[in-house]
Amino acid sequence: MIRFENVSKTYKNGTPALRNVTLDIEKGEFVFLVGASGSGKTTFLRLLLREETPDVGRILEAGRDIGELPKWRVPYLRRNIGCVFQDFRLLPNKSVFENVAFALEVIGRPRSTVESQVPQILELVGLADKSKNLPHELSGGEQQRVAVARAFVNRPLILLADEPTGNLDPANSESIMALLERINRTGTTVVMATHDKALVDRMRRRVVELDRGEIVRDQVRGVYGIDEGVAI
Amino acid sequence: MRVYLRYAFKETFTNLWRNRMMTVAAVLTVAVSLSLVGSALLLKQSAAQASAQWQQGTRVTIWMQPNASTSEIGSVKTQLAGMPIVKDCQYFTQAQDYQQAKTLLPADEWSVLTPSATPSSFRCVPTVPTDAFTVQSTFTNEPGVYQVTAPEQQIRQMNHAIRILQIVFLALAAVLLLSATVLILNTIRMAIFSRRREVSVMKLVGATNWFIRVPFITEGFIEGLLGSAVAILAVTALHTWYPLHNEFALNASALVGTNTVVLVVGVVIGSVGSAIAIRRFLDV
Repeated sequence: MIRFENVSKTYKNGTPALRNVTLDIEKGEFVFLVGASGSGKTTFLRLLLREETPDVGRILEAGRDIGELPKWRVPYLRRNIGCVFQDFRLLPNKSVFENVAFALEVIGRPRSTVESQVPQILELVGLADKSKNLPHELSGGEQQRVAVARAFVNRPLILLADEPTGNLDPANSESIMALLERINRTGTTVVMATHDKALVDRMRRRVVELDRGEIVRDQVRGVYGIDEGVAI
Repeated sequence: MRVYLRYAFKETFTNLWRNRMMTVAAVLTVAVSLSLVGSALLLKQSAAQASAQWQQGTRVTIWMQPNASTSEIGSVKTQLAGMPIVKDCQYFTQAQDYQQAKTLLPADEWSVLTPSATPSSFRCVPTVPTDAFTVQSTFTNEPGVYQVTAPEQQIRQMNHAIRILQIVFLALAAVLLLSATVLILNTIRMAIFSRRREVSVMKLVGATNWFIRVPFITEGFIEGLLGSAVAILAVTALHTWYPLHNEFALNASALVGTNTVVLVVGVVIGSVGSAIAIRRFLDV
């Protein structure tokens, strides 16, 4: 599904963000991306969205080199990738329903699709009864579930999550993780960058650890970090 | 497509309303500058029309000295008759000119005039209006000739004055058009700024670049359109209540032509302003 071939990326100020990264992620996998701040996790996700292009190497998604895509095709690439962020990025003046519907409307889906898909996805994330509320009337966990609904409403092949639980308490983190797992079970590939040690350790999924732009560990049923166990 | 049109329409008007102060400022600047452009165009057309009308009836008047001898008058007369560039000539005697002066001059000026002090004159129509000057230069220094006048001179002066006025109008209009473009550019920039969250979400979920851009372009387009609509009203009003003499009055087709130019320029300004704003401030 996703294939990085010897990818390197250095930002203009000279800091290397990724160094010679080679990685394969299969369709339907659930991958944790761990590592300290500045280890290259966000760059990894930005490359997948083609917000950046690699200096060296190739990135293939669904068998296609995304570096070869002409600029006007990039939006169509992004329609196959859902995104969730730490800060939710909801539109404050739109209701829950409208926020999710927006994602379909701006890619030109007809109203009938919007009216059938949005309630369905809100049901999935457990917010059917809050569809008329504005984001600021919801808890952080609920807002993040709206963001997940927005990311998934178009049924993307890949779901990227950049620290989705970073602003949430453990209970809410748990419900977001349950949601991501559920989405993963529908066959969607999930890549999640995180700092949440407890979460990673409990899930026992594939863990890719980055350190200063290099992959230092790739474990099939991994934990957050071997040496971190001593910390607490 | 219908979904998109509805979306673009809604977005455009929401933006226009949200930044209504800037919208009004931009629209008014467009309106004022285009009114000037329209007036300058009308002025040019009516000046051309009026001078064409005047030239049709161009006459050269050769005024003889009041004391000119009969032979001098006769010599001028034969010379005029022999000139192919002169179509037609009429001789006005001193008494006839005295009578005409009575109708043309104010009473106090006429009262000091006597028939014997009044010059007699030849009123000539040249075959081609511009030949008036040749006639003028031929007879100015002829013995017994007092003065040769051709209204062409006045037409020239008039045209000159109109041309200067026109240049001033157009220069002013150019400056205002530039500021109108910048104002539109700025309203679009503000619209882009106030919608940056929406834009970033749109990019994230895969809205195409044109989908994101079009509402902003339409916004500038509509501002230009509204501005030219106001300017068209102003130009039409100017045409209807023309402050100038009848000879300047233009027909409806000239007005339609001018208004078309105003409309096109307005729309172009709006589109160019928003296009620049999008290139510079909308990162898609």
